[in-house]
Amino acid sequence: MADGHRAAYLAFDRFPSSKGSAVHIRHMAAELFDRYGGGLLCVLGGGGLPAYQREGAVEIVRFDAVVPNLLDRAEAFSAWAAEQLAPHRDTLELCHVRDPWGALPALDTGATLVYEANGLPSVELPYAWPLVAPSTLGKLRELERHCLSRAAAVVVPSYVIQRAVLDRGAAPDRVHLVPNGADPPPAGLPRPDTAPDRYLIYVGALQPWQGVDVLLRAFARLADLTDLALVVCSSVSANRARPLRRLAERLGVADRVRWQHMLPHAEVAAWLAHAELSVAPLTATPRNLEQGCSPIKVWESMAAGTAVVASDLPVIREVLGEHGRLVPPDRPAELARAIRVLLEYPDVRRELGERARRHVETGFTWRHARGRLAVVYETVAGR
Amino acid sequence: MTPCTVTTGFFTLGKCGVMAVAGCPACQRPLCAGHITESGLCPECAAARNQVGHPAAAAAYRRRMHRHRTAGEYQDAGWYAGFDAYDRSAFDPGAGAQQDYLDDGDDALVDS
Ligand SMILES: [Zn+2]
Ligand SMILES: [Zn+2]
Repeated sequence: MADGHRAAYLAFDRFPSSKGSAVHIRHMAAELFDRYGGGLLCVLGGGGLPAYQREGAVEIVRFDAVVPNLLDRAEAFSAWAAEQLAPHRDTLELCHVRDPWGALPALDTGATLVYEANGLPSVELPYAWPLVAPSTLGKLRELERHCLSRAAAVVVPSYVIQRAVLDRGAAPDRVHLVPNGADPPPAGLPRPDTAPDRYLIYVGALQPWQGVDVLLRAFARLADLTDLALVVCSSVSANRARPLRRLAERLGVADRVRWQHMLPHAEVAAWLAHAELSVAPLTATPRNLEQGCSPIKVWESMAAGTAVVASDLPVIREVLGEHGRLVPPDRPAELARAIRVLLEYPDVRRELGERARRHVETGFTWRHARGRLAVVYETVAGR
Repeated sequence: MTPCTVTTGFFTLGKCGVMAVAGCPACQRPLCAGHITESGLCPECAAARNQVGHPAAAAAYRRRMHRHRTAGEYQDAGWYAGFDAYDRSAFDPGAGAQQDYLDDGDDALVDS
C-alpha cells in the first residue's frame, strides 16, 4: 500500500461484535471500500481483537488503549484516529464516520465527510451516564452541530433521526435516508439443538430503553401457556443481564427464560427463524421518540419470516409498517394480549411473517441499503 | 504441520490456518509465507513498530512515541467544545449506569 488510501471509515465502536451496529458497519464499510479500491477502517479493539489487520486492500486498525473515562477515551480515539489518517492526507478523498469523535479528525484531513448519524451522543449518552449535566449535553450538541453542518452528506436510517440532525445544523439538501436492512437467511435453517419447542424471542442489547423488562412482565402474564419459553439473545455479556435476571426471578418466570449471550451473528438467524414470534418492546423514551433508530433486530426478524410484535413508535412504524403487530409501548398487559392472540392464530402469524420477509426481499436487503449509500457517494463525489 | 495463527477476516474472524513456515521474532506466533511482513515480523508486530503502510506513517509514529499516553494530552484545542473536569466527571467508570464498561465493548456512543 505505497500510495495511501483514498477512503477511510471511522467508528467509535468495537468491530466486529455481536451488536447490531457491527452488522451495519460491516455493510456500509464494504460499500465504501468496494468503491474506493480498499481503505482504512479505524475502530475500537479490545476483547482479543488484533490491533492491526490487513485484508487485501483494506487495512483495519483498532484503538485499544485503556482509558477509563468515556469522554477521555473518545477524545483519545479521536487523536489516535488523526494519527492513523495522517499518512493518507494526500490521497484521502472520502471519510465516512458515525460519531463526532470520528468526524473531528476526518474533517481535519480536508477529505469529503459523510456522516452517518445512527444516533446522537447528546441524546444517547444520558441513558448510560445518568450524571451528565445539561450544560455538558449542550456542549455535546454544539460538537454535533460543528460536525453535521460541515458534512458533505449526512446519512440517516429513519425519518425520526432526520429531524434530529436537521435540528442540529445539517443542511436539508444534504441529508439522505438509508434505512437499515437485513438479508433473508437461507431457507431450511436447522433448528438450534438447544432450542425449546415453542418460544418467543428477543434479540438485541439490554439497555432500559429496549424494554426487555416490559417483555418479561408480559411473559409473566402468559404463565398458563406452560409449553412457551422466552429466549433472550443478548448482544451484550451476562453481567449486564443481572438486573433483568433478578426481575425474571421475582416474576416467577426465571425457569422459562433462556439467556443466550453474544451469540455469533450467523447463529442468531436460526434462533429467529424457529421462534413463534419475535418481540421488539422498545419503550417510549425520548431516545426512541426523538432520536429514533432503525432497529436491526426488527429487520432481521422480518427477513427470517418470523412475525414481529413491536411497540407502536414512529421508528418502528417506519420499519415494520403493516407487516407486523404494533402494540402500545410500556404496557405489559397489552403486549401479553397481542402475543396471546397471535399464538392462537398460526395462519395469521405465518402470513405476517411471509409478508414481512417479502417486504425485506424486495426493498430492504443490505444490497438495497448499499445501493442507496452508493448514490450518496456518487452525489458527494460530483459536488 | 503448524498452522499460521494470524487473525483474518472482516466480520467473521478466524485464524489463517495455512501451514506456517516461520515464527514472528517478536511474539513467536507461527506465520505462513503470506503473513510474514518484509521485516520478518507478523503484521501486528510490524504495525506496532510502524513497519507497514505508508512511509509518512513513520513520522506520525515518532511523534506518538514522544507523547505520554495520558488522557489530558489527547485534547486538541479548537477541536472540542471545551469539556472541563466537571463535564468529564459524569463519564468516570463509577458514574455509569453500568459499572462493567470494559467487559463487552458496550460503551459505544450509539447503538442500533
Ligand atoms: Zn508478532
Ligand atoms: Zn497466514
